[in-house]
Amino acid sequence: MRRPQPARTAVIGMALAIFVVCAVAPVAHLLFASLGDARAVYATVLLDARQRGLLYNTTLLGTASALFATAVGVPLGIVLARVPLRGKALLRLALAAPALLPPYVVGLAWVYLGSSSGVLHALTGHDFLSTWTYSLSGAVLVLAVVFYPLSMLTTEAVMRRIDRRLEEAALIDAPLRSVMRRISLPLAAPGILATALVIFVLAVSEFGVPGLLRVRVYTTEVFTAFAALYDFARATLLSLPLLVLSAAVASAAAVLFGDRLVTSRRRTGLVPLPLVAWRRPARVAILAVIVVALGLPAAILFGEALGARSVAAALTGSGRAMMNSLTLSATGATVVVAVAVWLGYARARAGRRAGQAADIVLVVLFAVPSTIVGVGLIGIWNRPGLAGLAYATDAMFLLAYLARFLPIAVLILAAAMRYVPASHEEAAAVSGAGWLRTMARIVVPQTWLGVATAWVITFVLAFGELGVSILVAPPGESTLPIRIYTIIANTPASNVASLALFQALVILAPLCVLAAVGSRWALR
Amino acid sequence: MTSGTIAIRNVSKRFGGHQALAGVSLDVGAGEVVVILGPSGCGKTTLLRVVAGLEVPDRGEIWLSGTNVADAGRNIVPPHERSVGFVFQDLALWPHLTVRGNLEFVLESRRVPRAERAARARDTLALVRIEKLDDRYPHQLSGGEQQRVALARALVARPRVLLLDEPLSSLDPELRATLRAELAQLHREVQVTTLYVTHDSDDAAALDGRVVRMREGTIVDIGQDRTKSRAADFP
Repeated sequence: MRRPQPARTAVIGMALAIFVVCAVAPVAHLLFASLGDARAVYATVLLDARQRGLLYNTTLLGTASALFATAVGVPLGIVLARVPLRGKALLRLALAAPALLPPYVVGLAWVYLGSSSGVLHALTGHDFLSTWTYSLSGAVLVLAVVFYPLSMLTTEAVMRRIDRRLEEAALIDAPLRSVMRRISLPLAAPGILATALVIFVLAVSEFGVPGLLRVRVYTTEVFTAFAALYDFARATLLSLPLLVLSAAVASAAAVLFGDRLVTSRRRTGLVPLPLVAWRRPARVAILAVIVVALGLPAAILFGEALGARSVAAALTGSGRAMMNSLTLSATGATVVVAVAVWLGYARARAGRRAGQAADIVLVVLFAVPSTIVGVGLIGIWNRPGLAGLAYATDAMFLLAYLARFLPIAVLILAAAMRYVPASHEEAAAVSGAGWLRTMARIVVPQTWLGVATAWVITFVLAFGELGVSILVAPPGESTLPIRIYTIIANTPASNVASLALFQALVILAPLCVLAAVGSRWALR
Repeated sequence: MTSGTIAIRNVSKRFGGHQALAGVSLDVGAGEVVVILGPSGCGKTTLLRVVAGLEVPDRGEIWLSGTNVADAGRNIVPPHERSVGFVFQDLALWPHLTVRGNLEFVLESRRVPRAERAARARDTLALVRIEKLDDRYPHQLSGGEQQRVALARALVARPRVLLLDEPLSSLDPELRATLRAELAQLHREVQVTTLYVTHDSDDAAALDGRVVRMREGTIVDIGQDRTKSRAADFP
């Protein structure tokens, strides 16, 4: 019989309470608030032609972005998994980099490329793209560039995980091309499809890109209702269809992923079947994608930034926003990971059914669009009394980061902790160590790379966070994303580009360090 | 008549610092059963994989049915054109296909006319006595049933050579004894040239074939030929 462990119960209970208050309560509050007037909800969701148009635009944006990103990401993932290439770690990092940038930074590059005063017009004298720049198609293109790495990395992971024997058994009877089509891809299909659904949810949840490219979708409409019209009730009602859509699709993705969400690569000891003949076309394709998805946006932003009279002056003018972003993101990442460690442990040690249910909840919460989280947070904290003490302070940023990124940090840490055998804890317990000591000395040290990964990813996401921050920011306070977003309309492009480049550099630097440390650790 | 013969000529294979095969030579006559017996890591599975074309020999030659299919550093004939059936140690049944689907993939790949496929699959499943399980998925089958599916899949294209890599190793002793007897009976019915790799001498005894002993990448003993193989068949 398992020994009761009061310390474990208390710590995990406390972490769970923080999770419920910070991540679940805003969404639950919004859901109940929107369902308060059933007739208004019915009219909003079904009867209003304007709402149907929004639903159509939102669904089209999500579907087209997911299809486009999957079409680019899947072949790249197969290449990374199976084609022997020199410098693959570096190529992978370069290919994955667009996903790490805030989407609106890539959107900004797109605007500078295609608008009537953009780079393309200046170089060629022809206005090829200006009618297409501020459009749904433009938003799809930008979001596909930002999200294809998700499909690529998942495809690589699932292709590596396929048991080599299954392919060899088919090779006895069929050529490699047929084996890939009939055996490998169907085996990888659930993971690929689940990622396509996640991309759909992320695309429909995205606020910065549609806002920048003036595309009317639910996220921008919720923001307008709240921030421009000060109509909290309308913002709440508009959130409902988006919440239902995101939750339904995210649940389907979590079910498709199954146990793989918290299980990393299976180690069979066999190298996956290599596709040696694909080497040359693979190299060409990889270079082409890196140039278009990373090189071109970086070059455009760099070119614009060079036009600034003084890059230093442009950066200095936003110094406070930059410092706020750095300190708040670092603090936020630390707080999020400090809570996620215990919840990740609980998820890793949960039974199969409870674990799968937890995964669905975590994925759905991560998929909740940022503007919805923002409206929910305001609903909870903007009130007199104890709760109101936090409102209008920087604590709202931290609450926003907890609400948005605690679920993903828990999933990352659960995946890491699952590989610490339960017998290690039992051995420590037999040796007389208490649970907290076992966690501190046995479990967490074995998962330090997972903890570091969760911290860096949370930091990166928090540093680029716009949708919630712009809604909950206290008067006079700003972060870098808010600053960039609000000065686009009335500040020279060179200054905005300088800030966007700075933001990209701050995001990519810790990731490069993490990738370098991770690969050295993997080699050992 | 060379159809179904196997000739392994001075084959060597190294993986990094490990010499898996060191100058192995072996002739197998048409319709003969050869049991390759040896401890784990002696190179017997590698030998089977080289014959199938899943590994390329560093040195030496492989001849199947009188055709040179591989020599030093290259596969002359790819695996799917060698007319071999392979039963893997872990069976490697495709989990997303039904029993019938597993067999039909092989038949489609070998370009068997559509009209013939259903009958071929049905007959082969009947041969291994699992014809009623054709619409099940691998995870819905017992260990013994999965083993029979793997065997049916290897036989359905009527290969000239059957390669079995410790196919009974994951089964309990009782089931192993039953399937050993069935495998021997099956070989008497289909008369396909068979290379059977095992570390279990009971398997070797039950199959009534020539026993080849391997150790550290070399053949240390070739048992007496108890079948009708003819030296003239070998290239």
